[in-house]
Amino acid sequence: MSEDNKPAIVVSDEPGDEKAVAFPTGESAVDGPVEIERLAMLELENVSHSYRTGRKSFDSGTHHVLDQVSLKLYEGETLGIIGRNGVGKTTLLRLMAGILGPTHGTVRIHPGKTASLLTLGLGFQPQLSGRENAYLAAMLQGSTRKQAKSFLGSIEEFSELGESFDEPVKDYSAGMRSRLAFTTALMTHVDILLIDEILSVGDAHFREKAQTAMKSRITGEQTVVFVSHATSEVKSLCSRVIWLEKGKVMAEGDSTTVVDAYLQHVKDSRVVVREKEVVAAR
Amino acid sequence: MPLSQYFRLVDTMARMALRADAMKFYLGYLWWILEPLLWVGMFYLVFVVLMQFREPNFLMFLATGKLAFIWFSKTVTQASNTIVGGRGLVGKIKVPMTLFPLAAVHEGLYRQVVVFALLFAFLMLDGYSVTSTWWYLVPVLVVNYIMIVACSFIGACLVCMARDFSQLIQLGMMFLMFTSGIFWDVRTLSPETAALVMNLNPVAFVLDAYRQIAMHNTPPDMVHLALIGAVFSAIVFAMVLVIRGSSQYLALKAITA
Repeated sequence: MSEDNKPAIVVSDEPGDEKAVAFPTGESAVDGPVEIERLAMLELENVSHSYRTGRKSFDSGTHHVLDQVSLKLYEGETLGIIGRNGVGKTTLLRLMAGILGPTHGTVRIHPGKTASLLTLGLGFQPQLSGRENAYLAAMLQGSTRKQAKSFLGSIEEFSELGESFDEPVKDYSAGMRSRLAFTTALMTHVDILLIDEILSVGDAHFREKAQTAMKSRITGEQTVVFVSHATSEVKSLCSRVIWLEKGKVMAEGDSTTVVDAYLQHVKDSRVVVREKEVVAAR
Repeated sequence: MPLSQYFRLVDTMARMALRADAMKFYLGYLWWILEPLLWVGMFYLVFVVLMQFREPNFLMFLATGKLAFIWFSKTVTQASNTIVGGRGLVGKIKVPMTLFPLAAVHEGLYRQVVVFALLFAFLMLDGYSVTSTWWYLVPVLVVNYIMIVACSFIGACLVCMARDFSQLIQLGMMFLMFTSGIFWDVRTLSPETAALVMNLNPVAFVLDAYRQIAMHNTPPDMVHLALIGAVFSAIVFAMVLVIRGSSQYLALKAITA
């Protein structure tokens, strides 16, 4: 990895075609020298991602998902990614996990490190029991048969599925499914954990339990990228946040600043929409 | 992913898929036996009872050809749709893409063990004796398996690139069914035509090999068999490289289609 790392906390100078939002950078700059020492586990350099759909559509079939995104992920940090639906958050995670490749730019992962994407519902087989699905999911995430078997006890216990653990998943309620999915995902052990909208599961009781479990995982040595709509969770879990807007990095910096700016932006655009509606109504 | 883990995963996925499949039906695993039985029953009804084919051994001739062919056609058709069908998983986890078609191939393989066991039981009941020539079935089965893997890999890639290939594969299987000598004997053709069919269509050669061994106690042309095995092994090897090299492209195609 190159040693000329910039401070990890940077405010983008290219805020996309949206109106620019200013961020106080003073606070984050203080952390700069400390960040330089850290090992970049994963690096995206000018990454763009677009694809053509097979059938012709209004945009001549090309979808531009990410546009010139650059970012670094440091060892042991929890990086949050926020943004509205469809701004490319999931695609960004898929690029980081190596599932997809960039159309332009480079994705570099530190040699020997593995990244795995955690997301709800790892393709459950509805006919099979929760136990069998959990076993298969654990194996797909790289466990050996023995390891997968050894996880089953704790998955059964944590998911609180009781006897249902041995019943077909097709008979599960939505809450039961997500409990199983979350617990199965929690068992993965990788260097970089990429988490996509995983904490909004089950009832209040289970959600709290899931958050506590996730927090203890995140606050440890684990390097995490965390995508969520739940901005309060992002604030409490992440040390650094990136805000994506229309496929570009709108802002990057400490979590409170970026989340607040994002929320303000969402609020402002709602006002603009409402004003437009009022004008249209007249 | 280490190779041992890869094959363990293939095996687990295949067995889970078989279990899930069996759970869908009231008769469950019984279908493994029922399906080949019904095929043979149907042939008997159509060709022996209705059309009054008096040719000796015609029923066993048909059963051997058809039941071996179904292994190929069903597996390749099913495996071709696996990457696209598994897009929920493809978008979430980085695993070798060959895993998906190969799991389907093994699903078919485990099922076929029962089908072949039944077929050979039928043959023995019909008076065919098991001789040492039957050992030749082993290389024929291996080559048949390699052919299935190769075609499944190609099919899975093609369907990933464009769904339309799924239709073409189905039509192709129908075409193969008519040109591989299932309902007619390749050996009744003129020697030149028979040689041409067997050279151009490896499926016809393999089906004929099964019959030669099990029904006529004659070993197949081993050079020809080895050649088919070598060509399809090379295809498998090439396809593994192609799929590995284009896994991100295939993932994108599967996710966005």
